[in-house]
Amino acid sequence: MPGVVGLVVNPASGKDIRRLVASASVFDNREKLSIVRRAVLGAMAAGIDRFVYMPDCHGIVSAAVEDLVEDAVFERLPSPVTDSALDTTRAADRMRESGVGCVITLGGDGTNRAFAMGWRDPPLVAISTGTNNVFPEMVEGTIAGAAAGLVASGAVRSGEASRQVKTVHVSVDGEKDDLALIDAVLLDEAFVGARAIWSPVRLKTLVLARAEPAVVGMSAIGGLLHPLPDSVDGGLVVEAGPGGHVVTAPIAPGLYTEVPVRTFRQVGLGETVGVCGPGVLALDGERERRLKPGQSAGLTVRRDGPLVVDVQLVLKLAAARGLFRTAWSEGTNGN
Amino acid sequence: MTDIAADVLLDIHNRMVRIRTFEEEAGKLMESGKIPGALHLYVGEEAVAAGVMVHLRDSDQITSTHRGHGHLVAKGGDLQKMYAELFGRATGYCKGKGGSMHISDLDLGMLGANGIVGAGPPIAIGAAFSNKYRGTDDVTCCFFGDGASNEGTFHEAANMAALYKLPVIFVCENNGFGEFTRQERHQAIHDIADRAAGYGMPGIVVDGMDALAVYESAGEAIARARRGDGPTFLEYKTYRYFDHVGVRGMGVIYREDSEVLEWRQRDPIALMEARLAEQGLLSADGAAQVHEAALAEVREAIAFAEASPFPEPSALMEDIYTTAAGAGGAA
Amino acid sequence: MTTMEAPATREIPYVSAVAEAFAQLMREDPTIFIAGEDVALYGSVFGVSRGLLNEFGPQRVVDTPIAESGIMGLGLGAAATGLRPIIDIMFMDFMGVCMDEVVNQIAKMKYMFGGKAKLPLTIHTMAGAGTSMAAQHSQSLEAWFCHVPGLKVVMPSGPYEAKGLMVAAVRDDNPVIVVNTKTILGMKAHVPEELYEIPLGKAHVIREGTNFTIVATGRMVSESLKAAELLSADGLDVEVVDPRTLQPFDTETVVASVRKTHRALIAHEAVRFGGIGAEFAAQIQEEAFDYLDAPVGRVGAPFTPVPFSPVLEKEYMPTADKIAAEVRRILGKQV
Repeated sequence: MPGVVGLVVNPASGKDIRRLVASASVFDNREKLSIVRRAVLGAMAAGIDRFVYMPDCHGIVSAAVEDLVEDAVFERLPSPVTDSALDTTRAADRMRESGVGCVITLGGDGTNRAFAMGWRDPPLVAISTGTNNVFPEMVEGTIAGAAAGLVASGAVRSGEASRQVKTVHVSVDGEKDDLALIDAVLLDEAFVGARAIWSPVRLKTLVLARAEPAVVGMSAIGGLLHPLPDSVDGGLVVEAGPGGHVVTAPIAPGLYTEVPVRTFRQVGLGETVGVCGPGVLALDGERERRLKPGQSAGLTVRRDGPLVVDVQLVLKLAAARGLFRTAWSEGTNGN
Repeated sequence: MTDIAADVLLDIHNRMVRIRTFEEEAGKLMESGKIPGALHLYVGEEAVAAGVMVHLRDSDQITSTHRGHGHLVAKGGDLQKMYAELFGRATGYCKGKGGSMHISDLDLGMLGANGIVGAGPPIAIGAAFSNKYRGTDDVTCCFFGDGASNEGTFHEAANMAALYKLPVIFVCENNGFGEFTRQERHQAIHDIADRAAGYGMPGIVVDGMDALAVYESAGEAIARARRGDGPTFLEYKTYRYFDHVGVRGMGVIYREDSEVLEWRQRDPIALMEARLAEQGLLSADGAAQVHEAALAEVREAIAFAEASPFPEPSALMEDIYTTAAGAGGAA
Repeated sequence: MTTMEAPATREIPYVSAVAEAFAQLMREDPTIFIAGEDVALYGSVFGVSRGLLNEFGPQRVVDTPIAESGIMGLGLGAAATGLRPIIDIMFMDFMGVCMDEVVNQIAKMKYMFGGKAKLPLTIHTMAGAGTSMAAQHSQSLEAWFCHVPGLKVVMPSGPYEAKGLMVAAVRDDNPVIVVNTKTILGMKAHVPEELYEIPLGKAHVIREGTNFTIVATGRMVSESLKAAELLSADGLDVEVVDPRTLQPFDTETVVASVRKTHRALIAHEAVRFGGIGAEFAAQIQEEAFDYLDAPVGRVGAPFTPVPFSPVLEKEYMPTADKIAAEVRRILGKQV
């Protein structure tokens, strides 16, 4: 069975204010289009002939595969286009029932978070086209596509070459629950504004599913204090403020800045950290929702996130199994 | 990431309400035939003008567009002189010689609404060049739309702004339509900010219905320009509630009412009022008072305009040249 | 400047007169800057700004991209905010690329704003055929701009006029287009060293005569003076009037001359049809109809794009011979 690959491309990733206040790269949509095309061709080389994709107002996927429609089926999900993160969440939810065996996402941490809000546990190949990219990898589109194709078709089983990542569950008193893949942070702010975080001044409490020293964003603050990779269960709680350490961390691209940290501690999976408003909750580096004065929220690290595909490993297994290799015969196109 | 003081929040709200009230009343007057000519109304896009302009001083300049009333209201324009101009009266900003599309106030650095799409960017870089030349830290905000981003003038100006590191901010009000033509039918890209990198300046995309997102991003770009770090391209995704011209336009269907309604769900003023209420900064009654005050001010401006004299016919030949000696060639 | 007993007949070429005007004006007024394509490092392809960069630096002598709309807008925005720009448009033909800035913006801003804008802006450009530069680098388009209220247009005929008119243009608080002619840049004449102004809107009777008036612009002034010599052999005593400023046009001086001589011909290098000569002729017949003993004649280029081949271009160019021949024709004499 050839399998189906899902495509989720966030047209808005890589364009936020961190191009202005930090030194983030711009990911223009022509570049995303090229990556999608390469990924699709990679997946097709791995035998995939059916794709399901999230529509977006830029028409990135439809433009990328315009001349491939003879060779494969491209099914546009019937979800509405609102030009917001809601599109990704809704598309993920619908993708769940569409027979998709592996999903390719293009975006940053925020994009994958939005996807996981709609469908938390499919095999995922996350290609980085965002700003803070702890979750997605810098991976060549062609190869990422091939890996996704191999997993979707079952040629490489997801259990062989993927791992389930951690999440931070967010429950807000009296409101709907939320989710982060890397970090949930309470800020002493009144407004969501331009969303991103580029100043340490208003940081209060950080709950990190991963604390990595070699990434950009909130995770790095913990990572430079007490590294805690995704492979290790548990989370790290960092209380910002004077009286303890000062960590010089890259909180945005190019922006190493001093972050005062009062305390930090490791917490176990399932252990809930309580925070209280007023403030703004930032999830995976973007200010998302406001907590009213006195309103409480619980932040819990769990291991119930997407199955992140190890692209390198998938292709090593494919090579070992001779999946891209056949014996010579007359009629083989040598080109 | 910017601390927004309560008085600034209320100021942004007030500017938005004054723009909307000004425009809604102007629309009625145009459609009832009381205001001659064509009005291009700014309703729906208020967050952009208010969120940017609240950062500016009188000595900072802006260039505007054919949809320029909102920019001047937000820059602190005199509503009486504005209405008098719309009515073609001698007491108007331009003595009745410019009308809606050329409304201006050089004392406030408002270098004119403009009847030519894409005319602003070259003028804006000139003003920014002048700011730098004169050694001030004034900046120039160049407002233009998605339609204007296809004019060669924008591209020439963007190149020169980055080349000379001019203190100019390109404020792209992407309302999704160039006149009646939807964006996807007039350019092959969706995020116009993607073009900024091609000229060597930062370009970002921001929600233009959220006055605070506008405020925060514009604040950073303006501070960057004042520091001498050069131009920025800010793309605000926004929406024009009314027609290209007037309120209901000429009745040709080029978009669905449902689309307008969907955008109105994220109305910038309602959004702001909800936040202010939540913060305890403005009650429903308080907000109603702001609207009432704006309406009273606008009505007063309209009354002033209607009571004002028309220009003398002899004014036709005045103001063409700066000195009387140079007044015109021999007729 | 005045202490030296300079010889009264210091003769310098036209191009040096322009350059001297720029330099002296810039010394006098720090708000003056010059911007245009290759005006700084190269000193303009015609040499009119040579030496300025060294003396005034790159802030005041600005090389621009090849972007006429942008350059013209730069001048407008700077003029509206307190500076006194000189904008150089290399060839007059290139004015076509920035007509919106000139015609819709610069010319109209003052009027549209109810008189409040002051635009002390000088646009310097180079007209004229005769250098085998063909159809896009040779035109004389001054009539276009004379038709637009809000602009002034001057067309110097020699080095003395080039300097004096440039000084007046730059000091004027209105947008003034200075149209120099590339083929007379080497012409030498007496030019005072000091800064002097030739008032705009005042014509100059450059050769007095009694029985024929030639009104000539730009390069045609010197050609008309030669024609006058040729015609003196026929017993004609030709008066040559140089309007110097085309807009505003000094009707009074020209009409006074025609009332004296009773015959008139207008000579310009631009295409004859719809040229500024048509306007001059109309004004003469309106104001001096009863004084005219012959129809008002006109010499201009034929109605064709400027050709490339020297043979064709020679055919195209109005000259002293052609002017003299046309005068004779008007007078019913054998050509």
